[in-house]
Amino acid sequence: MSLIYDPPQDCKLVGAMRAIHGVRDSITIIHARPGCHCGMILLKALGSNQNDVRVISSGFRAHDTVYGAEKRLSAAIQLSHEYFEPGLIAALNCSAPAIMGDDIEGVASSMEEKIPAALMTMETGGYEGPAWIGYEEALAKLTDYMIPVERPSADRINLIGIKTDDINAGGDLTEIRRILKDHGIEVNTVLADASFDEIKNSPDASLNVVLGGDGLECAKVMRERFDIPYIITPYPFGVKKTTEFVELVANRLGRKVDSELIEREVKLVKDGIERVCMFLQGIYDMPVAVIGESGRAFDLAEFLSDELGLNVCFLAISSKNHLTSNRIEDGNGHFGDVFIEPDRFEMNDLIKGAGVSMIFGSTFEKHLSSEIGAPLIRVSYPVIDEVSITDAPYAGFRGTLHLCETIINAVITQNIEEIEE
Amino acid sequence: MADNESGSRSSFLTSFVKAYGTLPLHGITAIPGKISGALMLTDAIEDAVPLIHGPVGCAFQRKVNPFKPHSPFYTTPCTNLNDTDVVYGGEEKLEQGIKETYQRYHPNLIMVITTCPSDLIGDDVEAVTRDVSSEVGCDVVYSTGDFVGRSKPVGYQDAFYAITDQMLCNGDGNGDPERNEGSVNIVTFPIHGAGIKVAEMASVLGDMEIGVNKVCFDHTRVEDLYDLPKADLNITDFPMQWAKLMDERSDVGCYEILGWGRYSEEKDPELLSPYGIGGSSRVFREIAEMMGKDGKAEEVIRRRRKEAEERLSKVRKDLKGVKIAALGGLHGVGLNLFKDAGVDVSVLICRTQIMESRLTEEAIKEIVDMNMNLAEICGFDPEALVNPTIEEEIKVIKRSGTDLVIAPSTSAHLYNREGVRTFDPTSFMIHHQRVGFECPIELCQMLKDALKTPQRRTPLLSMLEHDSQMHNMTPHWAKLSLAFNLLRSDAIGDRVKVDADIGGAEGGFDR
Repeated sequence: MSLIYDPPQDCKLVGAMRAIHGVRDSITIIHARPGCHCGMILLKALGSNQNDVRVISSGFRAHDTVYGAEKRLSAAIQLSHEYFEPGLIAALNCSAPAIMGDDIEGVASSMEEKIPAALMTMETGGYEGPAWIGYEEALAKLTDYMIPVERPSADRINLIGIKTDDINAGGDLTEIRRILKDHGIEVNTVLADASFDEIKNSPDASLNVVLGGDGLECAKVMRERFDIPYIITPYPFGVKKTTEFVELVANRLGRKVDSELIEREVKLVKDGIERVCMFLQGIYDMPVAVIGESGRAFDLAEFLSDELGLNVCFLAISSKNHLTSNRIEDGNGHFGDVFIEPDRFEMNDLIKGAGVSMIFGSTFEKHLSSEIGAPLIRVSYPVIDEVSITDAPYAGFRGTLHLCETIINAVITQNIEEIEE
Repeated sequence: MADNESGSRSSFLTSFVKAYGTLPLHGITAIPGKISGALMLTDAIEDAVPLIHGPVGCAFQRKVNPFKPHSPFYTTPCTNLNDTDVVYGGEEKLEQGIKETYQRYHPNLIMVITTCPSDLIGDDVEAVTRDVSSEVGCDVVYSTGDFVGRSKPVGYQDAFYAITDQMLCNGDGNGDPERNEGSVNIVTFPIHGAGIKVAEMASVLGDMEIGVNKVCFDHTRVEDLYDLPKADLNITDFPMQWAKLMDERSDVGCYEILGWGRYSEEKDPELLSPYGIGGSSRVFREIAEMMGKDGKAEEVIRRRRKEAEERLSKVRKDLKGVKIAALGGLHGVGLNLFKDAGVDVSVLICRTQIMESRLTEEAIKEIVDMNMNLAEICGFDPEALVNPTIEEEIKVIKRSGTDLVIAPSTSAHLYNREGVRTFDPTSFMIHHQRVGFECPIELCQMLKDALKTPQRRTPLLSMLEHDSQMHNMTPHWAKLSLAFNLLRSDAIGDRVKVDADIGGAEGGFDR
């Protein structure tokens, strides 16, 4: 096994930032040399929420590595409050100040009285772990601000594991809310796509629903602290997973699934696929590669295989979660070998040799897709070369049709002359 | 047919690059770190591979290229430093990493780029690269960001300096190669598309009997870099530390197209205007003088200039009397180009907000004065507006009968909705502005096209709120920008004066 590693996943900082940025009235301070801050700004600004980038730098400079930069951090906290009046200010301590030993917790404590916003700190040195650890830890830390409720509302759930910067996340969430609402289930708080007040109000729910296993630590802490049970559901890609999702949630709440409603939804999917049935038949058995984060990629791969009949001959999990090893075993043969956080060089070599006709991945698979002449469907983080502003989901019943549409179009819009070149 | 194809591809490329050109980075809301700059240089050398000596984030996140956000750095292997390495050091990993990088990619150059963790734990990167380089079949160079002081962009400057110091002019004989007498290197920033933008310059130099030894970066390989010390002169677009080092060690002179250093001594604003007929003539003359070709050069400049001026006089006919509102600043379209185009600069807009926390008040005043001085030299008498609101601008623009505003696409819609046409300076600067006599002719054509654009009274972008001061941004982004600049500078008080440093100060106030 090689020592050098061209990573498919980011560091703890990015995971933490993705979780905290989901708090709509938060500011994330990157206490780091300029590169880390610039990277965060770019990941956000190249996405589909350019109006909602809430990441600032503490202004850490080279000479601060000698004398420390705690004063800069306090200035950044003060200024964040003055400029943005956020509900939550999170300071993320990155490699340079973390090694130097900047006491960011001390800085935050000393400012608590004069800053009305909640102040959260986290150690996110690049060497401290991968992105998913940062995501889990940051979501779990949000439980510190939650307010216990004596009698939580019935039939209200929290959704855990939504990442607002995933492609079509907004549309997915709208679709999931719609499906749940149709079954009389209300979403209390989305972790994390919520205001800070909504985060605080998270305990007013009778069930935590962990999508694809992302945010499991948060669910466990909430069970300990607030006695809220949790269930783990698939990320609802396709008809089967969406139905399973509804059934799991409804059953756990002691509600009956409205089978007529599900039938109506399935009928709409059927009507849609009927309109393009010949193309769907045409792509049946197409060999594809799926690269993505654990919370979504397993379910996507299973949908592609089980429902669309594609041949998922390669599955790479770019970023794990606590359930990754279980999910490999649960694959039911829908995907071939599974590679966990593989080295990109080796992964690309394997994909090149796998003879795939389509890649489901992130922007960073663009070059590979171009090299092997296989269209790239952007479904995995980070997508920084495609936008999504129409709320068209990939998840849920409606998302099934949108995915079908995207996949078919990616095939038939190709120019045969370029393919033959 | 081929020309049409190439034309439409080039048109798409312009639009593609422009689609990302509105991101307010580079000193406005963020500054790329040294790793990005070093990666940009490494990426521009076709047979080089980076090795990032750091944790995964330093490799993954840096795939996003702040200099060309449309082109990620796809290959960024790292040594995957973890918390144990931070305690015990990462030198062994680096040594092994260099060997594996060679075995895996078979490059001709490995650029080791250090990161915050490896810098702070004190890994002896120099010793490791020195020791291991004999065990791999390629050059190994390391860049820490510490070689070039405050020269910007630090990572780019540092990596290029490292190549010169450790590889090209390292005292083992490489720096004293057989000379390509009477030749120059033309080395431009890799985002500027060197091949296209220096073709005319190379042609003029050729007429002067000055050969072009190498043009970088244009499919540049390591063997091309080794050829750099063969030339007599390095021509760079702005001050480069590597060129100064090559001058010291290998006697290859250096000439900077943008003469920041000379400006700080002579305070002649024309030194910062290398474009247009006059500016280009001066640049060619100065290069010729350094190459001992003064006599030949005068004849060539006169002839090429005459040819261009004849064509220019025809193409600029329709522009006579056209009034322009131009942007002042450090990096805009040169005022002397407007002079060549025969238009009148009726309004000169200077925006200083972004620089206010970075530059001293004197420096900002000097830049404003420098622009006014240059306008006067060019024969313009514009009304100067410093940090106007959009309403104030529109009022003056309408009152003065201005026909065209030089406005980037971040703010063009604000003028368009008022019935004022605009010209995008960013695309012109990236794809057209260069030393040479053809550039003003192209500008004339582009200005004429802009004057023919339909009135756009209802752009959707006008639905958005804009900041009253920095009206190329929404209020939210303006706050991000203010916060960034304030936090970065205020606590330290390291504002710079107008000297060589300012040339490297990101942003300018041209956007």
